[in-house]
Amino acid sequence: MSESDEKKLDATGLFCPEPVFRTKIEIERMQVGETLTVSADDPAAEEDISKWVTRSGHELLNISKDGDVITFQIKKVK
Amino acid sequence: MTTVTGTDVLNRIGNTPLVKLDSLSHNSTEYFAKLEGHNPFGSVKDRAAYWMIKDGEEKGILKRGKSILIEPTSGNTGIALTGIGKLLDYKVEIVIPEKVSNETKDIIRNLGAKVFETSDDLCPKVGAGTDQSIALATSIASSRPDTYYSPNQYANEVNFKGHYVGTGPEIWKQTEGKVTHFFTGIGTGGTITGIGTFLKEKNPNIKIIGCQPQQNHLIQGWRNFEESAKPDLFLKREGVVDDWVSVDNNEAFSVVNEVLEKDKLLVSPSSAAVYACMKKYPLDGDACVVGIFADDGRKFKSVYAEQNIMSGEDFDNAIKNATHMSELAY
Repeated sequence: MSESDEKKLDATGLFCPEPVFRTKIEIERMQVGETLTVSADDPAAEEDISKWVTRSGHELLNISKDGDVITFQIKKVK
Repeated sequence: MTTVTGTDVLNRIGNTPLVKLDSLSHNSTEYFAKLEGHNPFGSVKDRAAYWMIKDGEEKGILKRGKSILIEPTSGNTGIALTGIGKLLDYKVEIVIPEKVSNETKDIIRNLGAKVFETSDDLCPKVGAGTDQSIALATSIASSRPDTYYSPNQYANEVNFKGHYVGTGPEIWKQTEGKVTHFFTGIGTGGTITGIGTFLKEKNPNIKIIGCQPQQNHLIQGWRNFEESAKPDLFLKREGVVDDWVSVDNNEAFSVVNEVLEKDKLLVSPSSAAVYACMKKYPLDGDACVVGIFADDGRKFKSVYAEQNIMSGEDFDNAIKNATHMSELAY
């Protein structure tokens, strides 16, 4: 994956459903095959974003936690 | 972008006409429609929007030129808040379900608001439709309390008050105190509780009747309480409702052409639904029945074409020939 294919979204400090809403908007703007890295610190974001990615048919490549911050790597599949 | 100037527009909010429905009236039973489409931005929601902004300013929460208004809405509140907010030098952001008609979303954008569209798959645990929009608007506002203010029509007490001191007394005066039955749909509950509370204080025998749409309905602005939660504003005074009438999409849409033909009114889906409820509700003896027609039909050309109610050409003719079409501020 080239550097330019990876987009970032900082959703820390935002409450759900705003992180998933911002994720959705960002994914809609991207090309198929590109990857988005989302950071969020609302505990509800873990379930909301994970489930939305699955429902929407995209791919959750990785999810990791560092303190309160949850980081998602999402690949746009369609 | 549509530019509306002159705060004198605000003086046109309220005092909407009450029009007799000849199609339903007979002998000593009279039916009337309160045509809220005559508010300057085209719907009953001008009242709530005006009162909520005024209240925010009086409490020192809103500052002209600085604050951003953000509000979840299924349409008319978005138009009203944007129109009135821009007049008073506020930025406005509207959160709206994607299934709302494109005409409505275009009006809001053209009046100058930023529009966020929510979908039902966003966060299923908060519910469908406007519940998604409410959750998003709340989260945006609560993350940035120094800039954003969400009037939250679903819980804001002045949404009740606007109808208690405005619409209720207007109906009482326009019917010369003769009103016996009052019908309206429920979105936030502000209209039915505000008007209902006032009318019952004047005459406890007046029947307040709530109209309930089917689940997964197409009646913009209404809530079915089996699929959506009752708003806090409604819960506070739900006891004011004496009776309920259910109406499905077909019943509502099927009377649009009937009202156009017999009463010469081009009505919205929610007004048609109120008409359908008034028509089928059994009444004995003398009665003076008033229904809220929250807006007129001008925003629903695409909806009526999709529902095979009228073609685009028929719609254009209906707008030309309908009586009581209001002059909007935009």
